Amino acid sequence: MKNKIKVFRAMHDMTQEDLAQVTGVTRQTILAIEKGKYVPSLDLAFRIARTFNVTIEDVFQYEAAAPITVGID
Amino acid sequence: MRKNSFYLIVGCIALALLAVFWYSVEHHIRFITEAAFMVAIVLIWFIRTNVTDIIEDERTTRITEQAAVRTFQLFWVILCAFSIGAVMQILYIPSFPQEHFANATSRPPVILGPRLMGFFQLFLLCLMIFLYVGFRIYYARKYGDWETDEE
Repeated sequence: MKNKIKVFRAMHDMTQEDLAQVTGVTRQTILAIEKGKYVPSLDLAFRIARTFNVTIEDVFQYEAAAPITVGID
Repeated sequence: MRKNSFYLIVGCIALALLAVFWYSVEHHIRFITEAAFMVAIVLIWFIRTNVTDIIEDERTTRITEQAAVRTFQLFWVILCAFSIGAVMQILYIPSFPQEHFANATSRPPVILGPRLMGFFQLFLLCLMIFLYVGFRIYYARKYGDWETDEE
């Protein structure tokens, strides 16, 4: 799961601490999400997106881990 | 109350508990340590409700849950494996004719007596604490607890 939180934070002139307080999580959680170490819940993803007044898809981009292929011999 | 103050108070309570434990051992009064431990837990819980900073969120909850589940999964396997052996030893009843057991050597040797079994189970319970701490460190690392940033 990729995200543009850092970009949106810069656009809104927000620090990780600011975003953490608005969304009700710790700064470490925002940092973990930004670095891709933690995938937020849908609830938190909505809160982050609404903080920036954008949709979830604008902030988070889903990437499948590996394409599923069915081999036919 | 800020979270740093909370952690400081928790540290002071832990030190106080250590002192109580020492006093309890010196004077052979077990009840003091038990009562102090319960009071300390209630006190910490009460102080925790007054912390204004966010010290727990969905990520920390997930770390705790994952560590607890993994600890339990590993612990019950170890405990059950040991307990099955212990119960088999305690409930050893010959099912063959007595003539078969005429020789005294037929009964398997007792490796752990019931008393030692109890102590070993207590040891396994203590081991669970270390298992939990280990798993917690692993999942905290996995979910970016010690990540650093330029900010």
